[in-house]
Amino acid sequence: MTADALQERLCAEVEMLQKAALRFSRAVTAKDFALLFARIATELFPGADVHVFHQPDGAAWWQSVVAGRKEDVERFLPAAGASLPQECVVRELEDGRMVTQGFADGTAIAVVCFRGPEGDPGTVPEHASLKLVALFCDRMYQEFHTRRKGKDLAFSLNQRILQLNSLVDSGIEIAKLDQHASVVHLALERAVALTNASAGRVRVQMGGVQIQEVVFPDGVVIADDQTGRGQIETEVEFKGVRYTFELHGKESRDGVLRFDATDRLLLDALARHVQALLESRDLHQQALEKEKMERDIAVAASIQERILPAALPDIPGYDIAGINIPSKSVGGDYYDCIPLADGRLALVMADVAGKGIPAALLVSSLHAYLRAYLESGVPLVPLVRRLNQVIYSASTDDKFITAFIAILSPLEGTLESVNAGHNPVFLLRSDGSVHELNAGGLALGMLALDFPYESETSAIGKNEGVLLYTDGIPEAADGAMQLYESRTPLKAFLQSHRDLPPRMFIDALMKDIREFTGDAPQNDDITALYLFRRP
Amino acid sequence: MDQVFSLQSEARDGCVIITTMGYINNVGGEAIAAECRTYFAGGVKNVILNLGQSKVVNSIGMSYIIEVLEQVQELGGRLVFTNLDGPVEKMLAIMGLFTFAGKEATVADALAVCAREAVDQGRK
Repeated sequence: MTADALQERLCAEVEMLQKAALRFSRAVTAKDFALLFARIATELFPGADVHVFHQPDGAAWWQSVVAGRKEDVERFLPAAGASLPQECVVRELEDGRMVTQGFADGTAIAVVCFRGPEGDPGTVPEHASLKLVALFCDRMYQEFHTRRKGKDLAFSLNQRILQLNSLVDSGIEIAKLDQHASVVHLALERAVALTNASAGRVRVQMGGVQIQEVVFPDGVVIADDQTGRGQIETEVEFKGVRYTFELHGKESRDGVLRFDATDRLLLDALARHVQALLESRDLHQQALEKEKMERDIAVAASIQERILPAALPDIPGYDIAGINIPSKSVGGDYYDCIPLADGRLALVMADVAGKGIPAALLVSSLHAYLRAYLESGVPLVPLVRRLNQVIYSASTDDKFITAFIAILSPLEGTLESVNAGHNPVFLLRSDGSVHELNAGGLALGMLALDFPYESETSAIGKNEGVLLYTDGIPEAADGAMQLYESRTPLKAFLQSHRDLPPRMFIDALMKDIREFTGDAPQNDDITALYLFRRP
Repeated sequence: MDQVFSLQSEARDGCVIITTMGYINNVGGEAIAAECRTYFAGGVKNVILNLGQSKVVNSIGMSYIIEVLEQVQELGGRLVFTNLDGPVEKMLAIMGLFTFAGKEATVADALAVCAREAVDQGRK
């Protein structure tokens, strides 16, 4: 072929290739690209027997794209070799020509042109034509490759934005959910989607025993022997419950991959979201309970304050003093000294089992019924029996009241008393001996039976006193949980301070208890009432 | 809640309506792409993808949806998403799909949009 004719033919081929270039923009995969190229090559060399082969990245074999037969591959393969130089190489074959072009990504393309069916040597493309085609192919492939890389990069960047966005959104959405199972399910669902896992599972265990299993997608079966390779897991624990988040089978368009460090970070973050939510809900619950308790305490304190005597009555010939120091949780201690119409006085010391509003309400009932019965002139023993009935009706099974109720006849110097399950009341004799007032019966409200209470009557002489108290005094504890009673028996304290008038005696007792307990919190109400007959 | 993937399809008014159920992952995405290819071979150009029963799409599933979008564009057709759940809609927005694809509340709305566009193209 003359130089002019060759130039003309090359110009025509360049024009055809430029027109064909548009088609390459539609290629999605490398194989699409090779297929398009093969079609163009067939159009360019119409008389020739054209074969196009594609060598995938790093492969030592060729894949036929157009018209390639196995025997043709065997004919040119030794010439092509397993590893190709990147530049374009044209080789002369016995009955044709072949061009190979390696690409930057390790793949290659080969165009083999044999003589046409009639064996006309003119149907074999010129060396220059083949080189032109190969170079054009390289340029188009680079463009295709760059475009694909750009697309992959944009996809990957969007994927990262999506992961971050979803992580933030998941935190918000998880926090909005009420149901524990929904929280775990949503976290798992997001972890599976964000890491491209095929499936996921959360195993909830307590004390080594599985108590719940959540899977995503719903209904998927994950056998325990599926664990191991191709799986990642992370654990969080809250209040003895262990949550094990597992992800299985990281997907890609080319098969299953190993999970990477980002996947682990995402899984850890979502599992931590769940743990943080459980912690925060628990703290919130605790705060609500504390708030409710404080409200209860305030209400109970207000009830207790209203029923405790603002001032004790003056009793001719006697001194009397009382104290009530409520604990933080406000128990149900109650004391009173109630003047009766006939000049006698009722002394009361009571302690409700329990604390807070229920205890305060029960004390309030006791206070109301007691005053009503006293005003009606009901004698002491029937009065206590009636109180037992009404307190039983007004209280729950776990509530009862220990009480000491006595009627003082100040002129006669006698005290009739009933001890309903309360601490012994100390009667201090003028000789320093102490007599315990225990006669009575069961605590009020403990049993519905018409229990027979008994009373005892004691004489109170001059220089003699009666000390009523609740268990908050002997059971006051120091920081080491030692009880006040174990160091200072109350009876002994009473004997050693018998010269003190009631107010001073109570102050001395409180001071001694404070010194004993130090900074330790007060666990129960401290209540005392001390009556002393002047000389 | 998302279950293992399944889909239903039907051709109506020159559109293929594909309704998916469950997690759109590799398997789900491939099934959508394959279903679309079948309809494209039969001359359908518009795709309505009803994702109302798919609350979760991973990025492999998303890559197949993008592939369908590219094929639809090549054919000169239109892809419309319908019944989108909040997180899925946000995902499609972040991936930039709404620049090239539409979104409608319901399949009926999407069919109406495709019909209007067909009329407009006929006038041109």
